[in-house]
Amino acid sequence: MIAALLTLIAVSIIFATLRLLPADPFSALVASGSLTPAEVEQIRAMYGLDDPIYVQYFRYIQNLFTFEFGISLTQQRPVGEIIIPALVNTLVLLLPALVVTAIISSLAGMYAGWNRGSWFEQSSIVVTTVFRATPIFVTGIFLLIIFSYGLGWLPAFGMRSSLANPQGYVETYVSVDFLKHYILPFTATVLFYSGDFLMLARNSVVERKGSEFLMLHRAKGLSEMEQLGRAGRNSLLPLVTYFALRTGMLFQGVITLEVVFAWPGIGRALVQAILNQDYPTVQAAVFIMALAVIVMNLTADLAYAKLDPTVEAGDV
Amino acid sequence: MSGYSFDTDTAKERLRSELGRAGRTLRFVLQDNAAKAGFAVIVAFGFLGVFGPYLAPYHPIEDTLQQGGSMMRLQSPGGKALLGTTSFGKDVLSQFLAGARPTLIVGLFGGVGTGVLGFLVGLTSGYFGGRVDEFLMRLTDLTFALPFLPMALVILSFVTPSVWLITAVLVVFLWKMPARVIRSEVMTVKERTFVKSARARGAGHTRTMFLHVAPNVLGIGFLYTAYAVGWSIVAGASLAFLGFGDPTTTSWGRMLQQVFRSGAIRTAWWWVLPPAVGIGAVTTGVFLVGRAFEEIVNPDLQTDKE
Repeated sequence: MIAALLTLIAVSIIFATLRLLPADPFSALVASGSLTPAEVEQIRAMYGLDDPIYVQYFRYIQNLFTFEFGISLTQQRPVGEIIIPALVNTLVLLLPALVVTAIISSLAGMYAGWNRGSWFEQSSIVVTTVFRATPIFVTGIFLLIIFSYGLGWLPAFGMRSSLANPQGYVETYVSVDFLKHYILPFTATVLFYSGDFLMLARNSVVERKGSEFLMLHRAKGLSEMEQLGRAGRNSLLPLVTYFALRTGMLFQGVITLEVVFAWPGIGRALVQAILNQDYPTVQAAVFIMALAVIVMNLTADLAYAKLDPTVEAGDV
Repeated sequence: MSGYSFDTDTAKERLRSELGRAGRTLRFVLQDNAAKAGFAVIVAFGFLGVFGPYLAPYHPIEDTLQQGGSMMRLQSPGGKALLGTTSFGKDVLSQFLAGARPTLIVGLFGGVGTGVLGFLVGLTSGYFGGRVDEFLMRLTDLTFALPFLPMALVILSFVTPSVWLITAVLVVFLWKMPARVIRSEVMTVKERTFVKSARARGAGHTRTMFLHVAPNVLGIGFLYTAYAVGWSIVAGASLAFLGFGDPTTTSWGRMLQQVFRSGAIRTAWWWVLPPAVGIGAVTTGVFLVGRAFEEIVNPDLQTDKE
């Protein structure tokens, strides 16, 4: 309920912000002399920009919740046709990267926490902090100038070679050409998100290390690794909720990365739409990003209630 | 001395003891080697931010380097330009030195603003509870729901970005992070006996809040301010890289944007490396110090160190 209300307020703010924009792209066309004012009036009426502001607002809300995003102002085709494939491209890049980094970094973090003060703990923390602190596009630029421009091993631009023209999802995403374009942005994402998972897993194992249930396990004669397994299972809770929160924030987190690698995802679509003053596309992209955050925050709360026996589902 | 009013002597005394505590904490943090390196980077960066523009051998934007009557385009390092030139014939070293300042302003003021605003909201919300808390927390929920970078891009697309405006936008979107953490800390502190006895002796809300509760959550407040400095630098550089930075200044993010847009990134490594390394080193430095500090502030990590 609160989530629904939040979504409504958030989209209203987005609507208000976009209406504050001083000019629409058509006025620019008049100024440049390519359209007469009369023609502009006609186009504005066609897009419904002449209706009173509250009519526009209700139409906007109604359209968003039926996932009808209107027609792009600059590309003359439905915004859905632009946004949905971009969204898929982003998800194909990010979800596997996030899952991989969550698993590897969490395991490494648990091991680091168990061996507190060890060489492995110190160095893994410093290394992942470097990648976590450095903005993701800077990491991306480093990878680009080393592996693409320096060594020439991997392509630098886009999702496929310019000559390739695959049809359908399978042909698009399952090919060597795609894989080559995939490696660098994938690596940058994995490195960027490794730090948070590692620290969370490490901290929560450190917190449990002195606890009594582990002393019992030690007394039972379990090996070090078996004890770590028990401690690790108890540390999963913050990791799972954090994973959900991160997934919600993903789209906004990688806007710069998509620009660096020219990955045709939703972040890059948003930046281009803003530069072209294509408001319907901007609205749709920002809405999807906001929705992702809200939905995943709710998921995190529910997962928390489900996994932690001390929290009742009704408390959420 | 009655001590019921907020007089200057008490304030001075408190301030002195807090400063002493801060000094001891800093020494303790710097026992960590990574934090030591991070701190050195931050100090060097602060120096560049203040004095960089005066050290620059040329003007970063106005001076176009000439050689034999023609513009020095994309010159590799050496000779007149120690770190080479850009494709517009500007000196990379000068741009790097001058570019530290906007990065420092956005990071420092964005971070401190975020820390202070978040601290005050969290303190008020946690201390008073009830309706005040309800209202402030719904407000933070709302700012969580608005995606930061996309909204910042939209806002900056219709106003001319300036360093100060960008800083303000960052504070508006980032304060929620410290606010939540401070609030939950305050809620545990305010139940403790010394807070209740202060109230029982007749101390007002303001006094109790700032003199009795606040010092106990100051550590967390500083920690999140430090992280906020890191986030602000990252966010400022990201905006500049996407082309939404202050167009009148040279920042490291803007240098990266120019080398990327011009396509010179393929060959001109001397133009890419200084700003990229600069941004990476500063944010890493901030986070390394923050992390070492967190080990002290977070009591759950204080278990047996054997």
